[in-house]
Amino acid sequence: MVNEHFPIYMLAILLVNAAIFSAFTKLSFRFLKRVVVVNLLLIWIMGVSLFVKVVRDGAFRYNFGDWHQAVGVQFYVDELAVFMMMFILTLSNLIIIYSLKDIEHEIESKQFARYYTLVFLMIFSMLGLTFSNDMFNMFIFMEILSIASCSIISIKNSKGSTLASFRYLILNTLGSLSVLMGIALIYMVTGQLNMNEIHGEISVIWKYYPTNIMMALAFIIIGFGTKAAIFPLHIWLPDAHSVAPTPSSALLSGIVVKVYIFAIIKLLFRVIGVEIVGELGIPTAIAYLAAIGTILGSIFAIAQKDIKRMLAYSSVAQIGYIFLGVGLATKAGLEFAMFHIVSHGLIKTALFLSAGAIIYQTEKRDIRKLDGIAYEMPATMMVFAIAALGMIGIPGTSGFMSKIFLGSVVLQEGKAFYLFIIILSSFLNAFYYMPIITSAFMKSDSEAKVVNDKIPRRMVVPMVIVIFLSIAIGFYPQLITEIIEIAVDSLL
Amino acid sequence: MDDLIVRKVTKWIVPFIQVYGIFIVLHGHISPGGGFSGGAVLGSSIILITLSLGLEKASGILSHRTSSLLESGSIIWYVLIGFAGIVTGNNFLTNRGAGFHMGEVGDIISSGTIPLITVAIGIKVASTVITLFHIIIEED
Repeated sequence: MVNEHFPIYMLAILLVNAAIFSAFTKLSFRFLKRVVVVNLLLIWIMGVSLFVKVVRDGAFRYNFGDWHQAVGVQFYVDELAVFMMMFILTLSNLIIIYSLKDIEHEIESKQFARYYTLVFLMIFSMLGLTFSNDMFNMFIFMEILSIASCSIISIKNSKGSTLASFRYLILNTLGSLSVLMGIALIYMVTGQLNMNEIHGEISVIWKYYPTNIMMALAFIIIGFGTKAAIFPLHIWLPDAHSVAPTPSSALLSGIVVKVYIFAIIKLLFRVIGVEIVGELGIPTAIAYLAAIGTILGSIFAIAQKDIKRMLAYSSVAQIGYIFLGVGLATKAGLEFAMFHIVSHGLIKTALFLSAGAIIYQTEKRDIRKLDGIAYEMPATMMVFAIAALGMIGIPGTSGFMSKIFLGSVVLQEGKAFYLFIIILSSFLNAFYYMPIITSAFMKSDSEAKVVNDKIPRRMVVPMVIVIFLSIAIGFYPQLITEIIEIAVDSLL
Repeated sequence: MDDLIVRKVTKWIVPFIQVYGIFIVLHGHISPGGGFSGGAVLGSSIILITLSLGLEKASGILSHRTSSLLESGSIIWYVLIGFAGIVTGNNFLTNRGAGFHMGEVGDIISSGTIPLITVAIGIKVASTVITLFHIIIEED
C-alpha cells in the first residue's frame, strides 16, 4: 500500500488545497476548518507510513517524469529527510489545530481562507525543500517558502507588520539571490545541478578550484544564513516573528528557520562533503559566529519588554547552538544539531503558543505586567514555565538533554572553550526566563484564587501535547536519537 | 484616462496583442517563449484596457472572481496532468511513457504534456498579472 509516490501525493494534496482555499475565499470558516483538519490528518498519516517504510526498507530516489537524475528533477527520500518531514508535519499539525481557534482573535474574518492558503503553501514548500535532491528545485521551494512566510507576517495589515514584512522581504530576497549566485558558481565548475552528481564531480575537481568553491559556499551560507538568522544576519527575525499572528510566529520560529538550517546541513555535508568543507575552514567560521550568537542573542533578549520579542531573540541564541553543532562538523556534532532542531522546535512552539494564549485572554504583551498571571491561567503558565525551564536546561526536559549532549560533544572534541560559552548562555537564559516564572507564580494579592483558564480547550490541548513531547524526549532521548544516528550516518 | 485617441487605439490594438499572446503560449514547445512570456503578454492586454478604459470595463471582460478561479484551476490542471503519469504506472509528470501523443517535431500538437502544461502556465500567469494589478488599483 505504501509506495514511493507518497511524497508526491502529500505535496499535491497541500498544493491543490492551497489553490482551492485561495479561489473560494467566501467559504464558511466552520467548513474551512474541517477541510484543513481532515487534510492535515491525511497528510500526517501518509507521513507516518512513509517514515515507517523508509526506516524499514531504506532510502529511495524518485525521478520526475522518469528522466535520468543528471537532467531531471529528483526527490531523495532518505532517513534524514523523513525524520525532518515527521518533525515538520507533527509540529505544524499541532500548531494549526491551535490556530483554528486563536486566529479568529488575530486577523479579520475575510483573511481566514488566505491565511490557510499561505500555511498550506508553507508546509508544501518545507516538505519540498526537505525532499528535493537538486539545487535548482531547492531554490524554487526556498523562494515559495520565503514569499509565503513574508505574506503571513504582513497578514495583520497593521503598520508594524507591514514594516517588518518589508524588511523581511528585502533581506530574504538578498539571501535568495546570494544562494542563486552560489548555485551558479557550483554549476560553473561542475556542470551539474543534481546533488549526487555534484558530489561526484566536486570530490575530483575541488583541488583545482578551491577559491571558486569557497566563494560558492560563502554565498550559499550567507544566503541561507540570512533566512536561518545566524548571528550577524538575524536583524529581521525579532520584528518579523513578534508581529506575526501567534500560530505563525510558532511556525516561523519553530519550523521554518529549522528547514533552512537543514538545507545548509544538506548542502555542506551531502553536496560538498565533510573533508572538503573542513579543508576550506568553513565549519570553524560557522562555529565562531554561532558562539557569538548564543551569547548576544540572550543579551538582547534580556533587554526586551514584549514577550513575543523576547522569545524571538531567544530563538537567535538557540539557533546559535544548532549552528555550533553544525560547526563542529563531526558525526556527534551533527547529531546534536538534529536533536536540538527537534528539541528547540518543541520548546519554542510551546513558549509561543502559551504566550499567544496569554495575549488571547488578557491582551497583555508586556512581561512586567504578568504578575500573578498563573492564578488566572494555571494550565497555560504551567506549559510556559516547563518550556522556559527547558530553555534554561533544567533536567527532565528536552532542553537539558540538548545541553548535556552539546557539552559532551564539545568536550570530546577538546574544545572546552565552547563549554564555557554554553554555560554562560544558559545562565543568561535563566536571567530572562526566571523573572517571568517567579512573578507569574509568586507575586500576587494574598486573596487571589486559582481559577481555570478561560481559553478554549482546542488551544490548551495542542500546547499540552507539545510540552508533553518535550518532556518525553527529556526522559527518553533514545526515542529520537536512534533514528538521528541512522540519518546522520547516511549523511557523512 | 479620458482620451479619444488612447481609447480608439486600445480598442484596435487589444485583439492583436491577445492573438500574439495566445500564439506565444501555443508555440511554447517549438519556438522561443512559452507559458510565462505569453501569459504576461495576454495579461498586459487586459492591463491596457484597465488603464485606458477603466476598471469597470476590464472587470466586465475578466472579473476578479473568474481570474482567481482560473488561477487555481490552472494549478489543479497541472497537478492532474502530472498524475496521468502515476495512473499509467510511471512516475509523476511522465510524458512519453504515459501514452501522450508525441506527434511530429515542429507541429503544434506534439510533444505530449508540454503544450498542455504551457497552456496552464499561460493562463496562470495572465490571471495572476491581472489580479495583482487590479488589487493594487482597487487599494488606491
